[in-house]
Amino acid sequence: MLKYSLKRLGQSVITLFIVITIVFLLMRLMPEEGYFGQGYEKLDPIQRETILKNLGLRDPIYVQLGRFYRDLIRGNLGVSIVYRPRVPVAEILKAKIPYSLYFGLGAITLSLLAGISLGILMARSKGKFWDRIGTGYVVFINAVPAAVYYLFLQLYVTNILKLPILFKENNPVSWILPLVSMSLGSTASYAMWMRRYMVDELNKDYILLARAKGLSNKTIMVRHVFRNAFVPMAQYLPMSILLVIAGSIYIESLYSIPGMGGLLVDAIQRQDNPLVQALVLIYSSLSIAGLFIGDILMAIFDPRIKLENHGGAR
Amino acid sequence: MHSISREMEEKYINQHPILSAKDVVIKFNLRGHTLTAIREASLDLYEGESLAIVGESGSGKSVFVKSFMGLLDKNGWVDSGTINYKGYDLGKFKTEKEWLRIRGKEIAMVFQDPMTALNPLKTIGKQILEAVELHQGLRGQEAKNTVLEILRDVGISNPMVRYNQYPHEFSGGMRQRVVIAISIACSPRILICDEPTTALDVTIQAQIIQLLKNLQKKYKLTIIYITHDLGVVAKVADRIGVMYAGDIVEIGTSEEVFYNPQHPYTWALLSSLPQLGIKGEPLYSIKGTPPNLFNEIRGDAFAPRNPRALKIDFELRPPYFSVSPTHRAKTWLLDPRAPKVEPPEAIKKLREQWGSECCGK
Ligand SMILES: Nc1ncnc2c1ncn2[C@@H]1O[C@H](COP(=O)(O)OP(=O)(O)OP(=O)(O)O)[C@@H](O)[C@H]1O
Ligand code: SF4
Ligand SMILES: [Mg+2]
Repeated sequence: MLKYSLKRLGQSVITLFIVITIVFLLMRLMPEEGYFGQGYEKLDPIQRETILKNLGLRDPIYVQLGRFYRDLIRGNLGVSIVYRPRVPVAEILKAKIPYSLYFGLGAITLSLLAGISLGILMARSKGKFWDRIGTGYVVFINAVPAAVYYLFLQLYVTNILKLPILFKENNPVSWILPLVSMSLGSTASYAMWMRRYMVDELNKDYILLARAKGLSNKTIMVRHVFRNAFVPMAQYLPMSILLVIAGSIYIESLYSIPGMGGLLVDAIQRQDNPLVQALVLIYSSLSIAGLFIGDILMAIFDPRIKLENHGGAR
Repeated sequence: MHSISREMEEKYINQHPILSAKDVVIKFNLRGHTLTAIREASLDLYEGESLAIVGESGSGKSVFVKSFMGLLDKNGWVDSGTINYKGYDLGKFKTEKEWLRIRGKEIAMVFQDPMTALNPLKTIGKQILEAVELHQGLRGQEAKNTVLEILRDVGISNPMVRYNQYPHEFSGGMRQRVVIAISIACSPRILICDEPTTALDVTIQAQIIQLLKNLQKKYKLTIIYITHDLGVVAKVADRIGVMYAGDIVEIGTSEEVFYNPQHPYTWALLSSLPQLGIKGEPLYSIKGTPPNLFNEIRGDAFAPRNPRALKIDFELRPPYFSVSPTHRAKTWLLDPRAPKVEPPEAIKKLREQWGSECCGK
């Protein structure tokens, strides 16, 4: 188990390294306007060249890359150019991260609970009322662009339930809608997979033996089916993180939540390259971490995985 | 062997069956059509015996015995007939609560494929423990000790270590031992083994059969074996029931069915055994296919495939005719009015063997 975890950790670090490099190289392809800030039009070509040179952007690419790695290790993410000129990116992020963290973790937890409950409900009433309702929900979420139902929630549900339209930190009620919006997509996919795995498990031979030995359906559900169906769910954790991140980028600006998602939209619009770069790095690291955690959870729950990595003692 | 057979007869004549199925009809609903899988089959099971049920694939062996435990697929039901066990009519059982009185603690089952019969994510110790706790009412260390003892009984060495292992750490034969351990842990009176060795390789098959024989003695089990393998049957069965198209067409002691078969289907089944092949002649195989269970069957279900069928076989279903107190068959050939029909060569040879051995006595 330890050996497997270390191996997976190593793989994650390598992946992260590759992703960071790719992000860096892609950022070099961004228009250079993003490095000049407000007075862009007033600068003549020579002044522009000087600014770029001072930023180190005229050095050979491998020198830039080396410097980038070194800065990263020291926690130096560069300075913002347009958003808050000359303020270190790290400092800007420090104020934003907590909001995104609370909403992100909240949405992931909520979708896990809601999605799994819905999945169980659907599996148990397979082909009947709740299964239909759940399937309808899943299809809706997958077919309709997320922006549409986010807006719908904000415009109509706030009205009906008398919830505030914008986020206010000290008003707990204003947390509800953004949280729910963020978890909708991931809830749907958890529900869909949970239903599928439950139905799969129910059709397996070992269920027949469990019945033949006299276990009640309820016991079989709880001790065998639910537990076994839950294991493969761990692999959807990274997907759920991605869905929530994707949702949060839009939702945070929709509800003016002062988090990273809103910031990313801002930074892109205003072409603040160092800020965009830092945010993309954070989001990709999160996804890689999600993949890693998902795999480790799988290995903890599923005894067969450990063995394969010990050389398969069959 | 006749003397043995007489002993057997006495053993059966004075006993009441512990399970008695009468005229059981089982139907399935398949895409709006009704299929009759079991057609008025009857079977008595006696305490302590080993009964083998043989018959070709699709004849209804599994369906029939599954109905004793309420394990029919959701689209199937016992349409009529009775299955008496301890004063209950299992054929009338509907609710899960009723079946929980029977499953495991009265009747347990060993399935064909041990590779899929175990939960891959639970240690085998836990899976046996579940049965021990449920049916023997033991808890904690006491329950665990019982599990370890059962593991030893089914021939799993090093039970302490094995207890904490998962199914994928066991070979097929060992998994079947675990499945058997689970059934034994329920301490049932009747154990149904549905093709317990079909999925295993030959050397392991013999071991599993020997194991079941030993366990039968130790735990005083009554066993129903379902199998295609007449070799297994010869080794373990006290009695044999021959099933065809959802009915038991012939039943008797092993010896009676092997050496003095009466039903043309039994003839055909035995003739197709390689051991009985006559030198130089191609091995016998049964012509045609079993009847379509969606249609109503008239007369003897085997008649269309029976080259020696009588006219009445196509019109009227034969009742049981007794050959001996323990031996009966559903065939018009046993009617006193029936013309003399010669069985195939191979069967005649069997009868001769039987006869000569007897005279040698
Ligand atoms: N759930 C079901 N729905 C419809 N028909 C079924 C169902 N289960 C069994 N049958 C039918 O009942 C008949 C008897 O099946 P059964 O499994 O008892 O045969 P078997 O004698 O055990 O065969 P095998 O030797 O292959 O195991 C078959 O024709 C099968 O198609
Ligand atoms: S000699 Fe005849 S009676 Fe004696 S055991 Fe053999 S078959 Fe039975
Ligand atoms: Mg079968």
